[in-house]
Amino acid sequence: MRIVNPGFGITPAGAEQATEGKVDWLNDPIVLFGNSKPNARELLEGVKAKLGLVRRTDNIDFIAKTSASQGAPLDMINDAAKKYRIALLALGD
Amino acid sequence: MSETEILDIGELDQEAWQDYAIEQGWSDGLPLVMPTEASVARMVAAAHGDNEGFAPISPRQVIPTLQSLAANAVMAGAKAEYFPAILAGLRGILDPSYNLHGSMATTHSCAPMVMINGPLRQALGVNCGTNCFGQGWRANASIGRAIQLILLNVGGGRPGVMDRSTQGSPAKYAFCFGENEEESPWAPFHVRRGFAAEDSVVTVMSGEAPHNINDHGSTSAEGLMTTFAHTIAQPGANTIYGKGPYMVVVGPEHAATFARDGWGVDKLRDELWLRARVPLAHISDENLATYAATGHHPTGDFLTIARGPQDIHIAMAGGPGKHSAFIPSFGGTAVISTRVKLPA
Repeated sequence: MRIVNPGFGITPAGAEQATEGKVDWLNDPIVLFGNSKPNARELLEGVKAKLGLVRRTDNIDFIAKTSASQGAPLDMINDAAKKYRIALLALGD
Repeated sequence: MSETEILDIGELDQEAWQDYAIEQGWSDGLPLVMPTEASVARMVAAAHGDNEGFAPISPRQVIPTLQSLAANAVMAGAKAEYFPAILAGLRGILDPSYNLHGSMATTHSCAPMVMINGPLRQALGVNCGTNCFGQGWRANASIGRAIQLILLNVGGGRPGVMDRSTQGSPAKYAFCFGENEEESPWAPFHVRRGFAAEDSVVTVMSGEAPHNINDHGSTSAEGLMTTFAHTIAQPGANTIYGKGPYMVVVGPEHAATFARDGWGVDKLRDELWLRARVPLAHISDENLATYAATGHHPTGDFLTIARGPQDIHIAMAGGPGKHSAFIPSFGGTAVISTRVKLPA
């Protein structure tokens, strides 16, 4: 019995793929990317404090997208990608 | 999710098929019709008037094929002639201003609200009258369900994985209705948006399930507006900070009262904009501080739940009775109307 796969889809040509690279978790710059929801900043500050127990924190910065419901502007993402090796997102509200 | 478009699943009886489909993660929890090659081909044939490609569907970001979309429509129980309306709804959802990714990943309870206008409503048997948001009509149920299954299976919006809704909503099974153009005192919704009356149009918005507005006592437009405005002005609305559109679906008896008193759609929108505002006294100090910190400042002694009258969308649907409905949106979304492309 043959059926059409309801989950079938085609990956767009030229779609960006994450590239694997070496990351120095103790020294590379990190951006803590907030989603503008209440308590996102507090959550990320907690992450920074925890990271401070195991690595340097002078190159850990915060940025936040401008709208809680809209995606971050492309420029903001590109700038962060250029400047930082690691990005951590606020996953909770 | 397999990367093969055609799957050989062996010989399965009905019960085994349902178990198999659920194991694949294809179901919304209800039984599914098997998308055989023949049934999908019949669905695809009904889309001959629509040759435009589709954008990738979030959150999975893959481009659907007409066959994979049709497979979901078959599974939802749709008739082949519903497929053009399903595709028009999907095109609206894939418009960037709909913000599909945000509305799929959010903790909010939003679902794609689908409203159909024009002659196709009657051709397909879309319920626009009594119980129009409810059960009992195959077109409403399966068109709304097909769109949800597409977002689940092609888009990858799996509950608890990429669909992060805190509580979900019954509207996530199916949320499709038609405007009751025949009994409306106002021009049809799609005509007010610039389409021809003879066009069939599907309008979508990322919305909550309908909230009832009960008013049996008011016999004037002014009285009804008092009830409408205070029902809509909720401190728990997403749009109190994620400003965006909302729909008001006026029942025919309320619409007749508004029209008798000379209130058209523009007047309704203007009055709702001025009156459906949340008094600061109804908002906690913590929330006020949060809203201020994120740039959402009061207008006088109130917070608005829209950006202006243009965010307030009025339609007419339902049957006899003194009820109307308010459909709040996710916030960062838009109301998008798409003409259905039918075979020539």
